[in-house]
Amino acid sequence: MADVTATAQQMADREMIARVGDGDQSAFGALYDRLSGPLYSLALKMLGDPSDAQDALQEVFVQIWSRAGTYNPEKSSVFSWAVLLTRSRAIDRLRARDRRQRVVAGSTPDEAKVAETTNASMVESAADTAEKSDEAARVRYVLNNLPSEQRQAIDLAFFGHLTHHEIAAQLGQPLGTVKARIRRGLLRLREQLRT
Amino acid sequence: MISDEQQDQATLYVLGLLEPHEAAAFESELNANAELRDIARELREAAGSIALTAPLRTPPASLKQRIMGEIAKTTKDRTIVPLRRPSFDWVPWAIAAGLAVFCGLLAVDRVRLERQLANIRTVDPLMHTTFYTLAPSAPAPADAKATVAWQPGSQSGVIRISNLPAPEPGKDYQLWAVDAEHKDPISAGVVRVDKNGVAQIRFKPVEKAEHVKAFAISLEREGGVPKKEGPILLVGTA
Repeated sequence: MADVTATAQQMADREMIARVGDGDQSAFGALYDRLSGPLYSLALKMLGDPSDAQDALQEVFVQIWSRAGTYNPEKSSVFSWAVLLTRSRAIDRLRARDRRQRVVAGSTPDEAKVAETTNASMVESAADTAEKSDEAARVRYVLNNLPSEQRQAIDLAFFGHLTHHEIAAQLGQPLGTVKARIRRGLLRLREQLRT
Repeated sequence: MISDEQQDQATLYVLGLLEPHEAAAFESELNANAELRDIARELREAAGSIALTAPLRTPPASLKQRIMGEIAKTTKDRTIVPLRRPSFDWVPWAIAAGLAVFCGLLAVDRVRLERQLANIRTVDPLMHTTFYTLAPSAPAPADAKATVAWQPGSQSGVIRISNLPAPEPGKDYQLWAVDAEHKDPISAGVVRVDKNGVAQIRFKPVEKAEHVKAFAISLEREGGVPKKEGPILLVGTA
């Protein structure tokens, strides 16, 4: 099933990750070029600090390098695998931050710091940016058309570092309701993106 | 047919929101259920796409150099051959000889300790026993619990359940051993609770289970099923 539904980009990613698994540094460089933008954007949105996001991204790519051989195309696309690795690293950092009792930035980026760093580094090929923007616009459109309670639950579950119990407490809803909202929202998102 | 509850668990699993013991139980369910694996994949892809909604930023070029440098270093570290120092050639041999003597002493000591342990085991059956604490997962009541005392040597155990109400007519609770060497959970039989939601039952799995990671109780058709079908109500590791 995974093979049938894979897009050309997903096939290219699989080819690259297979070469990375064989220790091919040039394939790793190409994979970095393809994934670093969205992964960095995710880390930055979650962590709110460019320096922290860069450290997280470094950990993720070192992990990709060392674990490429364990990637399983039956479980997910390379992109989703890398996204979930990044999210997991960012959550680890947020929890460590909580433990150190520093100021918790939550899921709201520190816009001043973000702007300062990214003004100098927003260099991408126009075609690449356009392609990512198209995809992003589509995902945003679908998310915006979900019922607001599903969108809110997904946002907290994905970008926050809350457990499902904490999300339920924050929304003042029973646990079962929150689980169902996240599940329905994600499945609907997937279904809409496939059409 | 995948139930809403299984889909909920799949969603939490994909987002890394399950507790470790819940994740272990869900993974064994995934291994046994191709349809559930497809759902989990769909949910992963949906979750992955959400990352695209973050405002697009590009990391500084220096980060790529830093990362490429680090992976080049790990590659080099893997292939580094230690330099030989001729004037100290005897040192590794001396260390090896010392270690050999030390290992010999350890081996003698180990044999002595194993004998002592064997003696203790013959008089104390608890030495053979591993205990598993099973915690509830929805839809079991939050105060339901169970403890399993498992003896791998005799392939038998005792389970004590409390606060688990009797199932609806036509249903039974069934105990499962999640074993690392088996793809599917191994049935350990039907367990029936009394009117107070309590049971204490001896059990023996239907197949040999030498590497039990967890025990779980699911709600199944009356009389039990050969392969787990229903939702897991209690699950726990040692």
